[in-house]
Amino acid sequence: MEKYFDVAYIVTSIPLLLPYIEITFWITVIAAFWGTILGLLFAVAKLSPYQVLQKIAAAYTTALRCTPSIVLLFMSYYGIPLVLSIFNISLDAVDKSVFVLIAFSLQFSNNMCEAFRTAYEAVDPGQMEAAYTIGLTQLQAYWHIVFPQALVVALPNIENALISLIKEGALAYTIGLIDLTGKANLIIAGNYNSHALEVYLSLAFIYWMISLGVQKVFYRIAHIFSKGKRLLLS
Amino acid sequence: MLRIKNVHKSFGKNEVLKGIDLSIDKGDVVVILGASGSGKTTLLRCINFLEKADQGKASFGEVDLDLHQAGKKEIQSVRKKLGFVFQNYNLFHNKTALENVTLGLTVGRKMPREMAEEIGRKALNKVGLSDRYDYYPQQLSGGQQQRVGIARAVALNPDIILFDEPTSALDPELIGEVLGVMKKIAREGTTMLVVTHEMSFAQDVANRVIFMDQGVIVEEGSPREIFSNPKEERTKQFLRRILPEYTYTI
Ligand SMILES: Nc1ncnc2c1ncn2[C@@H]1O[C@H](COP(=O)(O)OP(=O)(O)O)[C@@H](O)[C@H]1O
Ligand SMILES: [Mg+2]
Repeated sequence: MEKYFDVAYIVTSIPLLLPYIEITFWITVIAAFWGTILGLLFAVAKLSPYQVLQKIAAAYTTALRCTPSIVLLFMSYYGIPLVLSIFNISLDAVDKSVFVLIAFSLQFSNNMCEAFRTAYEAVDPGQMEAAYTIGLTQLQAYWHIVFPQALVVALPNIENALISLIKEGALAYTIGLIDLTGKANLIIAGNYNSHALEVYLSLAFIYWMISLGVQKVFYRIAHIFSKGKRLLLS
Repeated sequence: MLRIKNVHKSFGKNEVLKGIDLSIDKGDVVVILGASGSGKTTLLRCINFLEKADQGKASFGEVDLDLHQAGKKEIQSVRKKLGFVFQNYNLFHNKTALENVTLGLTVGRKMPREMAEEIGRKALNKVGLSDRYDYYPQQLSGGQQQRVGIARAVALNPDIILFDEPTSALDPELIGEVLGVMKKIAREGTTMLVVTHEMSFAQDVANRVIFMDQGVIVEEGSPREIFSNPKEERTKQFLRRILPEYTYTI
């Protein structure tokens, strides 16, 4: 009789899964790209002196924070085509990945917005004024003084947002996108649903490796930019 | 060298400056005295446009401008003539002492790095920090940070340096080193406008003392006139409060 738990399955499914890292990678990179741009815009809106912009940005972040990722994904996948069909625009030809990207870009932008806003607020405005007094323009002051310091403050939050984006990305299989998790489910189905645990363990292992890689990269960046922070020097 | 006229500034309903006139000549060391909340900081901030005055004129050398309506270019050119030393230093925390001092030269004035660093090192030597070039602000004591702040202003060789209570955030034992540096650059002929509660500095170094109260200049004159022979009742009250021995010197 076959063993219930067979380590061999863990080892054999890893090479089957690995090629699908590419899909997960691109979903992450593209969602992170648009999410960062959107997040920056909404952070600027929140920090702007205009009440209307502040309110819009606050509504946006609150709504997104309170929406589970999977609900957002379904809203994107079923909702967007429905709304556009009213205007006689058909999205039948559009790839599933587009809806995944929209959902996760929005989700990521919310996290980034908060990361940017809190980081900006953490840099004492007095340093900005000092930069003006030595003849720097606003842009120069942001670039040389505020941005490098805000980045250090924002890094842990950006790292968390990115890792959670990679993990939440696993939900994309629910609408039939074959990324890492989608492939794992296909392998399990091919086994007539046996040895699911082993396959998921390989999947977890791959996600751990990816997260470790991300952590390493962020550690390097933090090291480069945290000059002058006593905590990280000693 | 610097003349300002009729500066007004309100925050909401709170009228903080009620028509200030002031003139400073080359080589002057002018001290502004006044109780907390009388508008001293706001006045300095209006002069270099960290705060926008509601009304007021200024002339820097030959340049005349409106403190309320000046454009970006004008503001930038005025700031190049002024240095500013802040109460809480406001050093750049991601820069070393030397980088703090040279940033205005390399970025603000596009000076080559070696040249800027030479000026920067000289400025830091002048404030007694020749052994701290590569320290970050958080590795320096308050007194050392403020001396870097002074060096940052001095390095740009401005026409006038504005000081806003440069020793108020310091522990008493560190005040001396900062005042020492200020006296030194004053003796070298630097034109200075100094808000301070350090009466010794006003008495020893200033050639003019201004007493401000509730947004107006109540009285101004030489240190001798202000300290030994104040005319206004408000000035006398202030001095009595701040100089315990004052009652005996009348
Ligand atoms: N940014 C600001 N917003 C509102 N009120 C301010 C602001 N800055 C200063 N004030 C008010 O202006 C008055 C004068 O302040 P300030 O110029 O700092 O006085 P001083 O430096 O003489 O102690 C105070 O009543 C203070 O509360
Ligand atoms: Mg003040």
